Amino acid sequence: MEKLLECVLDIGEQMLICGGEVHRVEDSLKRIFSVYDIKRTDVFIITSSMVVTIISNDEQIYTQTRRITEVKTDYERLHKLNELSRKICKSKLETEEIKKELEDISKIRLYPIWLEFISFSIISGGFTLFFNGTIIEALISFIIGAILRLVLLITEKSIKNKIFVKFISAFIATSLAFFSVHINFVNSVDKIIIGNIMTLIPGTGLTTALKDLFVGDSIAGLLRTIEACIIALAIAAGYFSVAFLMGGM
Amino acid sequence: MELIQIIISFISTLCFGILFNLKGKKLVTVAFGGLISWSLFLLISNFIESETINYFIVAAIVSLYSEIMARILKTPATPLVTTSLIPLIPGGSLYYTMSYAFENNYDGFIEKAISTLKLASALALGIIIITALSQFIFKKLSRKSA
Repeated sequence: MEKLLECVLDIGEQMLICGGEVHRVEDSLKRIFSVYDIKRTDVFIITSSMVVTIISNDEQIYTQTRRITEVKTDYERLHKLNELSRKICKSKLETEEIKKELEDISKIRLYPIWLEFISFSIISGGFTLFFNGTIIEALISFIIGAILRLVLLITEKSIKNKIFVKFISAFIATSLAFFSVHINFVNSVDKIIIGNIMTLIPGTGLTTALKDLFVGDSIAGLLRTIEACIIALAIAAGYFSVAFLMGGM
Repeated sequence: MELIQIIISFISTLCFGILFNLKGKKLVTVAFGGLISWSLFLLISNFIESETINYFIVAAIVSLYSEIMARILKTPATPLVTTSLIPLIPGGSLYYTMSYAFENNYDGFIEKAISTLKLASALALGIIIITALSQFIFKKLSRKSA
C-alpha cells in the first residue's frame, strides 16, 4: 500500500510540475485511490506542496508529502499522465506497472532546442508587428528574441532564482532595444520591448491563477497570482534599470 | 494590417505550443485556436466597444472550442485554452503600465494597470463559465448516450 501511495504521488507531482491545475490533480488522485481497497482518501495540494493521507480497508493509515520546487510547462507529458490515470481507474494497474508507465512518460522528449530559439524569435518579432511595429523593428525584435532564449538557457542553469532570471532577461532585452535606438536603427523602443515581453510575461500563469481563484482554490490561486505579479515586477525592474541608466526617454 | 495580425496570431500561438511541448494534432488545434481568438476579437470589436466584454465573449467561445476539441482528442482542455488565448494576453497594456510608471504619469499608470487587470479577469471568467457549464453538459450527454 505504501508503494502504491508513492507511485500515485509521483503521478501527481509530475502533473503539477508539467503545469496541471491544482483541482485537476486533486481530482485525479482521488479517482485513482477510489479504485483500490481504500476507505478514505484526503488529498491536499497547493502549487508547491502535496499532502495525501489514505486509510485502507484494514484500518492502516498512510501519509506522504511532496515538496514541488520547479515548474516546467510540458503539456505533452501532462497529456500522457492524464491518460495513465484514466488507465489506472479503468484497469486497476499494479504498482510495478504504474512505475513502468511513469518511466516511459519521463522519456518524452521536448522539441529540439533550435526550434525553441526560432519560436522565441518568431514570437518576439511577430508580436512587434502585431502591435503595429514596423518591419525593421520586427527584425530587431526577432534577433533579440533569439538572444533572449540564449540568455535564458545560460541563466537558468547557473541561477536558481527564477525571478532574478526574469529580471536579467528583461534587462538584456531592454538594453538591446535601447541600443538599437541609440545607433539609429529605429526611432522608438516601445514595440520592440512589447514583442520581447510577450515571451517573458507570465500571461498563462496569471490566467491560470485567476481561474484557480474563481474556481475556489483560494490558496493556490493567491500563490500563483502573487508569483505572476512578482515576475511582472521583476520584468518592470529590468526595464526600469535600463531606462534609468539611459537617462529616461 | 488585420490580415497580418491574424496570420501572426496563428504562427505565434503555434510557437508557444512548441515551447509548451504540445505535439501533433494538439499543436494544430491551438494554432487554429489562436487564429480564431484574434479573428473573433476583431469581428466583435465592430459591434461592441468595450474591450473587456469582447475579451470575455472571445474567451468563452474559444474555451468552448477547446472543450470540444479536448474531448475529441482525449486530452485535458486547460492546455488548449490557455495556449489558444495567447494573442489576447495584454502584453501591450502591461508594457504601457510600466512605462507610464517610469514617466511618473500616474493617471496613465492607474488607468493602464486597471485595464490590464480587467482584461485578464475577463479572460479568466470567460474560461471558467464554459468549463463549469461543459462539465455539466457533457456529463448529461454521456449519460444519455450510455
